[in-house]
Amino acid sequence: MDSWIIVTEAGPVAGVTAAARELGGTVTAAVVGPRPLAESTAACGCDSVQWFSTPDGVPAEALALQVTDLVAAASPRLVLALDDPAGRVLLAVAATRLVGAALVSSVPRLSVEGDNLVVTRPAVEGRVVETLVVPGALAGVFDGEDVDVVSRAPAAITEVAPSGMAPSMRIIETTVAPGEAAGLQQAERVVSIGRGVRKREDIALVEELADAAHAKMACTLPICDDMRWYDESHVVGTSTQQIAPDLYIAVGVSGQPQHMSGVRAAKVIVAINNDPEATIFKKCHFGILGDLYEIVPALTAAFKRA
Amino acid sequence: MKCVIAFKWAKNPQDARVSADGAVDWRAAKMVATDDDAAAVVVARDLAAGDELVGLTVGDGDVAWAAARGASSTLSVADVEPNADSAVLGEVLAAGVRRIGGADIVIIGDGVWDQMVAMSLAGQLGWAALAGVVSATAEGDRLHVTRKSGTGTEVIEVGTPVVLAVAARRAEDKPPGMKDVLAARKKPLEKVAMADLGVTSVGGVTVRGTALPEAADARIFDGADPEGAVEQLMTALRSEGVL
Repeated sequence: MDSWIIVTEAGPVAGVTAAARELGGTVTAAVVGPRPLAESTAACGCDSVQWFSTPDGVPAEALALQVTDLVAAASPRLVLALDDPAGRVLLAVAATRLVGAALVSSVPRLSVEGDNLVVTRPAVEGRVVETLVVPGALAGVFDGEDVDVVSRAPAAITEVAPSGMAPSMRIIETTVAPGEAAGLQQAERVVSIGRGVRKREDIALVEELADAAHAKMACTLPICDDMRWYDESHVVGTSTQQIAPDLYIAVGVSGQPQHMSGVRAAKVIVAINNDPEATIFKKCHFGILGDLYEIVPALTAAFKRA
Repeated sequence: MKCVIAFKWAKNPQDARVSADGAVDWRAAKMVATDDDAAAVVVARDLAAGDELVGLTVGDGDVAWAAARGASSTLSVADVEPNADSAVLGEVLAAGVRRIGGADIVIIGDGVWDQMVAMSLAGQLGWAALAGVVSATAEGDRLHVTRKSGTGTEVIEVGTPVVLAVAARRAEDKPPGMKDVLAARKKPLEKVAMADLGVTSVGGVTVRGTALPEAADARIFDGADPEGAVEQLMTALRSEGVL
């Protein structure tokens, strides 16, 4: 059973390739974007790369038909895309062109049972794990974890000739993320605050922890929008920015899905909260149940000693 | 430009009941409009700019939600339930857009609970699509659409017909007042069934079952003794290799 992956942005490409490998057949990557994206994808364990170069100012979505022509012609059992806007558009077009394909919005884990593909995924906002059985072709959004690249020679890259058609859309302006101003994208350690911090003056307490831990400061959306204690560059969550630090320490953060999806890729999540029922205690690796006004100074002192 | 706003096509997972054996009971949950729907209707009003804006919805719940926010009429496909195969709902909505007819733009919430429904709608219409949309303006017969890209944004010029999937930044700012809500109930509402639209697909996914997640592997330290809890945490972080 052969698979294709669609790559339009950097992301967990080794993870999606490994998921496609579960089927045992060949894995072909359709990469839509600049040459370095094709090269980094080729090094992630697939068998071959079909590279669609995007001319300056042309978004990946403009090549949807051309890319899915190639995918549909190969008639794979499985097509996976990463969780980004352009990837999702291309995946849906591919799904409509594969006969009888199911379209599944979240595929973190995949296995094969006889002739069936089996997807295991969190559902009902993570309150249950759902098992889906797909007897036919499957187009899915991979939202599982990345894996370390298995050492192997990079796959061959074949450039697909442009269709010659005038692009249906073009990029006329690009804005760099405000988040980059706060340095959260590259940060190895991040300390964040939520509504558990009672007063603006109390932020200094948490900032001292961030200094001691050599961490950048982040916050939840209400801290920016409602309290106006930090600007948007510090906000982490679905509607703002996703980050992947080694260590994420959430102070007084309840753990709403909107926020937690922004730190899904963090290696270790620590929660400090005085509410034993706080959702974040179900979504962290380590937690301290207690008063942040007592815990944070103690943790700051510990980092200073470390 | 004639716009269709597709809204209220998902059930709120927070309204579902999960029993001790991991079974999920959706009976108490109705289809509800989401924050993304609210952001989408703002974009739709801007783009319609006085031209026709038609609501399209499915299932149970408040069919007049879009009418209270500027839609002049609504098409409701009543006998629709959520499906693990996003293509099923995409097909229903695409059939609804065709039934309404003459639309230049379909605006829909990106969908935090199922982010492939909007994309499937576009794929099945065969229209261009942009996801992660923040805002859009009409420039002559073209649109300038701002959408999230990586960690920044892009403004993309695109023609019609097009599907725009709008992602909310936050909850709805200004819900309509009682006067608009009451007036909305008097606006034209057409109710149809899936069969009326020629949709018979049941999808390509079977849900084998649900189970409670394995017990969280989080280690929670008791902060009644702050120094002791911090010491335990630091030891744990060292063993994880993140210090």
